[in-house]
Amino acid sequence: MTRRAHPILAVAIGLAALAGGAGQAYGMAQADTAAELRATRQVGEQADGYLGLVGEGTPQLRARVNDINIRRRAHYAQVAARRGVHPQAVAATMACEIFATSVLPGQYYRLPDGVWRQRRGAEPVPRPSYCG
Amino acid sequence: MKEANVVKVRLGRRRARKMARPLIGGALVSMLAGCVQVSTPDRPIEINLNINITQEVVVRLQEDVRDLRRREPGVF
Repeated sequence: MTRRAHPILAVAIGLAALAGGAGQAYGMAQADTAAELRATRQVGEQADGYLGLVGEGTPQLRARVNDINIRRRAHYAQVAARRGVHPQAVAATMACEIFATSVLPGQYYRLPDGVWRQRRGAEPVPRPSYCG
Repeated sequence: MKEANVVKVRLGRRRARKMARPLIGGALVSMLAGCVQVSTPDRPIEINLNINITQEVVVRLQEDVRDLRRREPGVF
């Protein structure tokens, strides 16, 4: 009898392995970090706390940006729930942080005016007034 | 007595298996739903650059955001 219970277990374990494998393969295909994407200069940081495509971008690049943004959104939502604020507030705060520390010379950023600009040399990236 | 117990156990297992079916189905559906969401890059997250936030809120969230970056350096 105990043997008969096993097929379900086996199926469950199989499914879990499959999901894990797929997840791993997916993770490997989409392994870019946000820093790597910024360094392509085809992707920039936006004041809303998300990555954006500076130009048209290839479908692959778009997928990679979207992948990071989905993960960001989940993290923003988590912090927002914990602090009782809107996820956009967390996202905007993150953008303040990223603009101050992680947009390197030559990389792109976008303020609320919607225009992509390139950071020149050692000049700091201008930040919205609410960043403080 | 023992026989009866065995029958009960069998019935219980069968029932458990039956009950597990929708659960497994649900898990499959949610997995697929997750996949669909991830593999539709045509319309990424809507970008709203009109940010309505005060400096006080930014100050309040700064430490949380720094923690988050430390924990997830690849994402930010």
